[in-house]
Amino acid sequence: MNTHLRSRRALGLAVASALALALPACAEGGGGGSRSSGEASPGITDDSVTLGITTPLSGTTAGPGTCTVAGVKAYFGKKNADGGIEFGDGKTRKVEIEALDDTYDPQKAKANYDQLKNDVFAMTAGLGTPTNRAWREAAIADEVPQALIMTGDPLFSDTDESPMQLGFVPIYQNEGEAFGKLLAGSSQDHKVAILSQNDDFGEGYVEGFKSAVEDADNIEIVKELTYEATDTSVDAQITELSSTGADVIFNAMSVTPLTIAALQKAQQLNWKPSWFLPSNTSSPGAILQPGGATAYPGVYSVSFAKAPASPAFAQDEDVVEYLAALKQYGDYPEPPAFPHCQWSWMVGATLEQVFMKMEEPTRASFMEALRSVKDFEAPLMLPDTSVNTTEDGQPAVSTVVVQKYNGKGYDTVESFQ
Amino acid sequence: MASASAVQATPSPSAASPAPSFTERPWVRRAGALLLLVVLVVAPLVLPQFANETLARVGVFAVAVLGLNVVMGYTGQVSLGQIFFLGLGAYVTAYGVQHDWNVVVVFLLACVVPAVAGLVVALAAARLGGLAIAMVTIALPIVGVPLAKRLGDVTGGSQGISARMGGAPEGSGLYNDQWTLYVVLVIGGIVFLLTRSLVRGKFGRAFAIVKGNEHVASSMGISPYRYKVLAFTIASLIGGVSGFLYMYVIQYTSPETMSFGHSIQLLAAMVIGGAGSIVGSILGGAYYVLVPQLTNEIDASLTALLQGAILLAVLFVLPGGLASLLRAVTRGRRRSGAGNGAAAPSTTPPSTAGSAPAAGEPETERHGHA
Amino acid sequence: MGTFVQLVVDGLSTGSVYAAIALAIVLVNQATGLINFAQGGMAVLAAYVAWALTNRGVPLVLAILLSIVFSFVLGAVVERYLMRRFERGDPDTAVVVTIGLLTLITGVAGWLWTYNNQSFPSLFPLDTVSFLGVSVSIRSIGTTLVIVVVMALLQALFVGTKLGLALRAVAINPQSASYSGLPVGRLLMVGWGLAAALGAVAGALVAPQLTLTPGMLDNALVYALAAVILGGLTSPVGVVVAAWIIGVLENLAAVYVPFIGYDLKVAVPFILIFVVLIVRPQGLFGRKTVVRV
Repeated sequence: MNTHLRSRRALGLAVASALALALPACAEGGGGGSRSSGEASPGITDDSVTLGITTPLSGTTAGPGTCTVAGVKAYFGKKNADGGIEFGDGKTRKVEIEALDDTYDPQKAKANYDQLKNDVFAMTAGLGTPTNRAWREAAIADEVPQALIMTGDPLFSDTDESPMQLGFVPIYQNEGEAFGKLLAGSSQDHKVAILSQNDDFGEGYVEGFKSAVEDADNIEIVKELTYEATDTSVDAQITELSSTGADVIFNAMSVTPLTIAALQKAQQLNWKPSWFLPSNTSSPGAILQPGGATAYPGVYSVSFAKAPASPAFAQDEDVVEYLAALKQYGDYPEPPAFPHCQWSWMVGATLEQVFMKMEEPTRASFMEALRSVKDFEAPLMLPDTSVNTTEDGQPAVSTVVVQKYNGKGYDTVESFQ
Repeated sequence: MASASAVQATPSPSAASPAPSFTERPWVRRAGALLLLVVLVVAPLVLPQFANETLARVGVFAVAVLGLNVVMGYTGQVSLGQIFFLGLGAYVTAYGVQHDWNVVVVFLLACVVPAVAGLVVALAAARLGGLAIAMVTIALPIVGVPLAKRLGDVTGGSQGISARMGGAPEGSGLYNDQWTLYVVLVIGGIVFLLTRSLVRGKFGRAFAIVKGNEHVASSMGISPYRYKVLAFTIASLIGGVSGFLYMYVIQYTSPETMSFGHSIQLLAAMVIGGAGSIVGSILGGAYYVLVPQLTNEIDASLTALLQGAILLAVLFVLPGGLASLLRAVTRGRRRSGAGNGAAAPSTTPPSTAGSAPAAGEPETERHGHA
Repeated sequence: MGTFVQLVVDGLSTGSVYAAIALAIVLVNQATGLINFAQGGMAVLAAYVAWALTNRGVPLVLAILLSIVFSFVLGAVVERYLMRRFERGDPDTAVVVTIGLLTLITGVAGWLWTYNNQSFPSLFPLDTVSFLGVSVSIRSIGTTLVIVVVMALLQALFVGTKLGLALRAVAINPQSASYSGLPVGRLLMVGWGLAAALGAVAGALVAPQLTLTPGMLDNALVYALAAVILGGLTSPVGVVVAAWIIGVLENLAAVYVPFIGYDLKVAVPFILIFVVLIVRPQGLFGRKTVVRV
C-alpha cells in the first residue's frame, strides 16, 4: 500500500458531491507516515491520540462485543478525566476511542478498518477471529497496528507472520492445556467426554487439552462431539455423552444459553461429572447459578481476571474502581456478565504502559513499545498472572490459573480434587 | 394497485424538468452514456481513497444483487440463497489464488463452479413452486456454513482464507484502491451490460411471462421449468462473479461471509433498490454497503435500530424501491397518470405487463409465495 | 436403547420450541397470506415486556398475560399503520418490510435492554420426571402441553368459527371478502394481533431455555419456517407434527448417520422438505390450494 501523501482534488464532479453525502469523513490524512521517523503518524497530535475499534455491537455476538468497547472506553475515560496520559515523548495526551459495529461480518470489519485506518493511530480491542483476520494482511501492508485484540487465534501472536499484530487474551490452546495439566496430575483415573464448538475456538481448546493429557496414563477420552454456535439446543449431545459414563466433561463452549442448558440437561439425566468451562462462559452469576452448577462435584475454569460478581472481590479496590468507571465512562450501567469487559479494561491499562514507553508519536515506535511490556500486573489481574508482550509466539496474556467454582465465585486450585 | 399511489405521493412530477421526449432522443442517450463513461473513468482518479474502497464494495454487492434480480425480480422465483453463490465464488477464487493459478482461469472457475452448483440446485428446486423454492434456497447458506467448516482443508475452516491478488501493476501509476475500483468497474460493467441485454431480449420476455403466470407461459409454448432453471443458473453465475470481486476487494472470506442473515440482507437490498431493475441493482448494492456505514457514523451502538428504521422508511415512501424514484423523476410529467411505472418495478415493458395482474386476484393468492 | 428413546424425547422438546413460533407464522399466513419474518422478533419483544414487568414485582403469570395483551395491540397497530400499505402490492416487498421490522425490533430491544443474556423465569419447574430410564423435565412437558392446547385452539378457530372463516376469506381474497360485507381492515388487524399474541406465548415458553436476548429466536426461525412448509401452511396440527418430526429426526441423524453428524444435522429438515414436497406439494397436512389461471 502506498504511504505517501496524495493530493487528490475531489472537486467539481457531481459523483463526488453526491457521494460526500453518504461517505462521511473520508479525508485522506497523511496515509501513514511511519517510514519517515519522527514525523507524527495519523491519529496522534500533541494533546490527543485516537484509537479505532471494529467489533460486533449488534447481532448475536453483540453482548461480548459491546464489552470490548466499554472496558477500554471506561479506562481511558477515567484517565482523560484525570488529565490524560503522559507519553514516552514527554507530552500528555488524552485518548479518544472510535468504535464501529461490524456485526461479526468480515466484510464489514474490513470496511470499518478502511474507514478508520487514516484517522486513527492504532486499531485495538476488537472481538472475533474472522473479523480480525479479514483486515490482518491489509493492516500489515498499511503498517497500521492491530494491537491487543480479543481473539485466541495463535496467528496474531506470531511475530513473523503478523508483524503489526498482537493478541491480548491467551490463545485457546493455552486455556485447554492448563486444565489438561491439572487433570493429568490427578491421582485418579478419569474418563473424559469432550463437547466443543465447531470452529477454531473449540478446536483450539481441544488441541491444547489433548496435548497436555497425551502422555497421561490416567486419562481416557471416551467420546468427542461438536455443536454449532447457531444451534438452539445441545440436549442430544449431552444425552449421547452421558451414556459414556464419563466422570469429566471438557466443554469448550462459547455460547451462554447453551452452556446453561448443557449444565441443566446433564442434571436431568442424572449425569454428574466434573466440568471444565472456558474463561468466557464461566460467569458465576450469568451461567453457573442458572445452570445449577452446585450439583456437580466440581466446575473448573481458567482465568486471569478477577470476576467482579464474585463476593471475594466485592471490596477489591481494582474492582470497585473498575465498576464505577464502567458505569460513568463506558456507557455500561449493569455489572458485566461477560469477562470481555474486564479484559478490555486491562487492554486499556496495557496500552497506557505502551504509551508511557513510546518515545516518538509514530506507529513504528508504538509497535516497538508494544512488544516491550514485561511482567505488568494490570488492574483486575489475578495473582500469578501478568501481561508479558516480549515472548514471541504468545499473546500479551499467556498465563492463566485454573479455578474451581465454590458456589458463589471461584477459588484458584493447584490440583484436581 | 396499492403502490400506484406511491407515484402521486412522491414529489416527482414537479421535480421533473426536461422536456418529455428529451431523454428519448438518440443523441441525448449517446451523450448520456458517454458522460457516464467519462465519469466512471475519471472518478477513481479524483476520489479519496476511502471513497474508492467503498465504491468497490458497492460494486461487489451490486453484482450480487443483480444476480438475485435475474431470478427474483425478473423471473419471480424467490431465492434466499444468493449469498451462497457469492461465498462459493469467493472460495473458488481464494483457492485458485493460493495455488497460483492464472487469474483468468481463476475468474472462469469462479463463474463456472457456482453456475454448475446453481444448475444442479435449480434442476431439483424448480420442480417445486413458490415457497418451496424459498425453503430449498434458504438451505444453501444454512447448510453452506457448516459445510465450509467441514471442508476445512480447502476452505481454511472457521478461520477463513486470505488471498491477495496483487495491487496496481508497476508502471500504471495507479494506487491500489484506484486499480481495484477499475477492475470492479470493468468486470461489473460487463456483467451489467450483458445482463441488461439479456433481460431486454427474448429471454427477458420469457422470464417476465413466467413471472406473470406460469400457465399462460405454458400455453404460449414457454416452459416455465426450463426458464426457471435458466434464470437460477444465470443468477448463480453472476453470484460467482460477485464472489470473485468480493475476494478481489475484501481479500478474505470465511464461513460467516455466507451466513443466512447476509442472504436476507441481500434480498432486502434488492427490493429497496428496485426489484426487476438494472439501476435498482446498483442502488441495492449501494444500500447494502452504505447504510451500515452511515448508521455506524450516526451511532455505532444503535446500528440495528437505525438500519431497520431506514429500511422501513424507504419502503414506506417508495414501495417500488429507490429505482422507482429515479423513474418517476425522469418520466414524471409525461406519464404522471399511469401509475404502473412504480407499481411494477421494472424497466422493461413486457415484465411490467406480466407483473401487474389486471384485477389483483391471482396476485393475492401468490402472496404465500414470498 | 435407553439413549435412543432419550434422543427421541429430547427431539420432541426441541421440536416444541420450533412449533411455538411456527404456529404464529401459520396464523399470520392464514390471516393475511404473508410470511412474517418479524414474528420471532415480536415474540422476543413480548418476552422482554413480561421480563421487565416481573423485574418490577409483577407476578410471572400476570406479566405474561399483560405481554400477550401488549402483543395483540402491537400486532394490530403494526398491521394497520405499517403492513396495510404493502399488503396488496408486491408480496416480496411486504416480506422485506417484515425483515426491516425484525431488524428494527431487534435494535430497539438491544437499545432498551442491552444485548446481554437475561434470565427469564420459567412457568414450569425444571424438575425431572423419569420413567423407563428416560428423563424429561417438567418444563419440556409443560411447554409441549401448552403448544398442543394452542394448536387445538387454532385448528378449532380456523375450522369451526365464523371469525376463523372470515380471517381466511380475507387472506385468500380481500376484494371479494369486502364485497361480501366483511370488515377486511379490522379482520387483518385481528389476524396480526392474534398472531402476535400467540408469539408472546411462544416467547414466554422458550425464553427460560434460550435466555432472553434480542436475537433469541433468530436461529429457531429457520426451523420454524421449515416446519411451516413441511407441515403445510394451512394446518396447525401439521405444523406442530412437522416441528416434532424435525426435532427428532435431526437428533437421530446426528447420532446414527455418521456422514451427517452434529455439524450438518441442520440439513435434515431441508432434505425432508425436498422429499416431501416432491410427493405432496401442499405439505404433509396442507390442503391443495386452487390456482386460478
